[in-house]
Amino acid sequence: MSLEPLTLTDILIATVPLMLIFATLFAFTTWLERKALARIQNRIGPNKVGIPCTRIGLFGLGQPAADGIKMIFKEDIVPRGADRLFHLLAPILALIPAMLVLCFLPLNFPWIKNIQGLVKPFMLDGAVIFFFAITGLNTLAVFMAGWASRNKYSLLGGIRAVAQMVSYEIPLVLSAVIVVMMVGSLNAAEIVKEQADEYWFILSPWGFTAFVIFFIAALAETNRSPFDLPEAESEIIAGYFTEYSGFKFALFFLGEYIAMFAISGLAVTLFLGGGDGPGVTMNPEDQGLATEAFPGLSAVWFLAKIFALIAVMIWLRGTLPRLRVDQLMGFAWKFMLPLSILNILVAGFAWHAEQLDNTIITVITWVISFAVLYGAASGLNQLNRGKVRPREYKYAE
Amino acid sequence: MTLLGSGIFKGMAVTFRNFVGSYFHRERLPTNDYSWRTEGSLPQHAGDYPKEEGEQLRDTTTVTNYSRNFPMLLHDGSEPMDTIRCVACQICERSCPPQCIYIEKSTEKKEDSSGKMQFYPATFDIDVSVCMSCQICVEVCPFDAIVMNSQFELSTPNRFGGLLLHQGDLLKSNDYYHKIHPEEAAARDKRIADEKTAKEAKKKAAAEAAKKKAEAKAGAETEAGDEKKEVAE
Amino acid sequence: MSSPTATAPNYELIQQDGLETSLLEVSMGPHHPSTHGVFRMDVKLDGETVVDLQPVFGYLHRNHEKLAENMSYLASMPFTDRLDYFNSMTNNWAYALAAEKLVEIEVPERAEYLRVIMAELTRLVNHISLVGFFINDLGALGTPLLYAFREREKIMDLFEQASGARMMCNYFRFGGLRNDVPEGWLDRTREVVDRFPDFLDEYEKLLCENEIILSRTQGVGCLSRDLAISAGITGPMLRASGVNYDIRKVDQYGIYNRFKFRVPYTDDDVGDCYDRFMIRMLEMRESIEILKQALRDIPGGDIIGKAPKIFKPKPAEAYARVEGPKGELGFYLIADGTPKPYRYRVRPPSLINLTVLRDMCLSQKIADAVVILGSIDIVLGEVDR
Repeated sequence: MSLEPLTLTDILIATVPLMLIFATLFAFTTWLERKALARIQNRIGPNKVGIPCTRIGLFGLGQPAADGIKMIFKEDIVPRGADRLFHLLAPILALIPAMLVLCFLPLNFPWIKNIQGLVKPFMLDGAVIFFFAITGLNTLAVFMAGWASRNKYSLLGGIRAVAQMVSYEIPLVLSAVIVVMMVGSLNAAEIVKEQADEYWFILSPWGFTAFVIFFIAALAETNRSPFDLPEAESEIIAGYFTEYSGFKFALFFLGEYIAMFAISGLAVTLFLGGGDGPGVTMNPEDQGLATEAFPGLSAVWFLAKIFALIAVMIWLRGTLPRLRVDQLMGFAWKFMLPLSILNILVAGFAWHAEQLDNTIITVITWVISFAVLYGAASGLNQLNRGKVRPREYKYAE
Repeated sequence: MTLLGSGIFKGMAVTFRNFVGSYFHRERLPTNDYSWRTEGSLPQHAGDYPKEEGEQLRDTTTVTNYSRNFPMLLHDGSEPMDTIRCVACQICERSCPPQCIYIEKSTEKKEDSSGKMQFYPATFDIDVSVCMSCQICVEVCPFDAIVMNSQFELSTPNRFGGLLLHQGDLLKSNDYYHKIHPEEAAARDKRIADEKTAKEAKKKAAAEAAKKKAEAKAGAETEAGDEKKEVAE
Repeated sequence: MSSPTATAPNYELIQQDGLETSLLEVSMGPHHPSTHGVFRMDVKLDGETVVDLQPVFGYLHRNHEKLAENMSYLASMPFTDRLDYFNSMTNNWAYALAAEKLVEIEVPERAEYLRVIMAELTRLVNHISLVGFFINDLGALGTPLLYAFREREKIMDLFEQASGARMMCNYFRFGGLRNDVPEGWLDRTREVVDRFPDFLDEYEKLLCENEIILSRTQGVGCLSRDLAISAGITGPMLRASGVNYDIRKVDQYGIYNRFKFRVPYTDDDVGDCYDRFMIRMLEMRESIEILKQALRDIPGGDIIGKAPKIFKPKPAEAYARVEGPKGELGFYLIADGTPKPYRYRVRPPSLINLTVLRDMCLSQKIADAVVILGSIDIVLGEVDR
């Protein structure tokens, strides 16, 4: 298949709507998060800001706009002695990679199909690799912010962030490797198509294990609770963005949420069948593009799955306390890493067993691999925190 | 052996139940929805909680029937200064722990509501930015002249003098007191009435006793006189 | 930065050739999200590990004792509310007990019962909020705290109906209480008390089995029995260190000898944050037992005994203590025959429990220092006075 060289118009048509859509979704997600957390905590949440100059509240949907306006007009304070250049660059650098990886999600927006026949600008063959390469930049931005602020809390946050993000990158990649192994391609569209043909990878034992590891590592990568150590409020104020205010802070915020979308999008692509769903048929010869009941249905499915994952993230944030830094590292290296390596082996055996095309063998493989993985997880858990258990107490009359 | 991560799942079940429950059970929400004109979302034991916009600025608006906020001075009749109960004895000024009361006694006496000649406060100021709502002044007052108000909307644009309440701001009628603290006001009025009747009864008894005593004395005197007479005879 | 002087046991700063290494000094507070007020910890860190810690307090000093020596006995009653602003009722009680010892006033039966009810409701309020704050220090987003506040609000409503104020109750008087509770108050209290165990079940389900909480709190901030006793620790913290000591049982002040209740304590010599957290959770159940008995048996009658109109005790001294939710809260009064106390002294449980902070925090992580501080349960109003 030969591709015509892209014109500027093509690129703009493909990218500008993407940015607008995700910026809008970011605004919506901040509202959703505040509202859901409020309800989890038995509060009401934002409910006042709606249409200006009226009393129409619209469930507080105007809140993100109000927040944005506030952020823009706030004073931008740079501490004396801070490295002004890097202090400015850090939030921008945090945002750019997050925005960039959005392009590699196999989102079937209707207008992408219509540009000069079949232009699919971002369907890279090495999309998964590219994704991890670019999100790695985020670490740099966070450490830059922590170092440039000239604040001890920021520095502690920056150090924590680097240690955490580098450690969790490994289980993240190793669990993605399983999908790449099963499909035999790094192309996101190929992966989605394979899942539409066979089954969503989350439904198999190794796929499920890989998905759980991926999701936990994704929480750590995006600094979400319970892995929000770099910005741990109760310990180090706000971590690496302690000294940020106004629009720079908003950029960090935006970057964090876009990164959440991106990593959830990757999880959806790898494990949850991408844009697959009722009313959507993936075209085998036409990578990534689908026949839909109505235009955009596939994209709607994709976004719905992203929001399901984000809802779980919000839910976890409303429930769990934070890990300690040594426990966090221990969890990555002593639990997730051995389990994901074992998972690769299990998935390899399972792939070979599936090649035999025998139902009984397949069923047995599934049962055995499930047992092995669960046993391994319990064993590792027992090894790591065997002494930790509820205690009994005495009563004096 | 328990399921892996069961503690976390249990916790998540609790938060999920609260998430759903907050939409269906109003008692789960500890805060009030401050949107005006929402009848159903008022707190359960609210007294005259503001239901309409702007009402919170009105004089009679209180939070609940039980709350106390800052002191007020009571008067009985329609003309506040003529029927003020306070006689400027300055006990409250002396016992106020944060010393936020300032009283100046009048130089001449004036008739109070019961027609008795009494002093009255020429100045009675309470600095509510200092007052800590402890109610000690109410307890030490022997004349039931000062009680706690529960009006809460006292914000003012004036930074220096705005929170210094003068006599005019503090004077409230007994009817108003009955409106904001019905139970307490009724109990207080009953006690005052009881004390009054007791006092009158005592006065009467004392008067009778005095009368008897006088009679007895008179009798004794007459007797003594008689005796004298007898002796003299 | 200077080299450490007094540091953690078995600690040695790793020196490398050609690389200057030193400790990171962080001043946590007085404006810090989890120092529970204006409290400062000067922490020396090696990476994330606390090598030295120096608590600094006094930012909230309000001259409480000297103020009380310059005003009448009654006038310092509202100031005791402000000591530990979560537990104004027990503060009131301790002060009232001390003053009653000076002049020997008989407290009526009904007042004694109401005092017990108020004190135990206060204990519930304190313990649920403490657990909420503690989990907040662990890094939860305030969910347990807001559940705690939801229930606290119901008890606060009861306090408001009885005394007129939610937190600064100023309800106890020498010889009884200021006023009787309004009509229907006891029924409302019964309802709240009956529904409280449901909330505790929910709370326990949310917190007590959570793997993260277990591994964050167990083995963190250990306080040995010997140190706890020699440092004068009291309250739930002492019982979590393995000493069965409760002033409600020891002194039996008020009418605590009439109630059947148990005191939870631990037997092993661990005394970590988990023990302190769990002892408080278990104590609440016992408080509910006391409340149920008190609400069942409460008689009618007078609310205040025969107290002199002008409180002017003869020269004497008195010390009275109660088992406050945070520990032994004592008031020491010396009267010299004037209407003002000659000496007025508070024994604040928060301050004395705080003295072992450094011993518990050394060679723990910086995140644990915050958790340990949270498990001590301090209120700066009481620490600094």
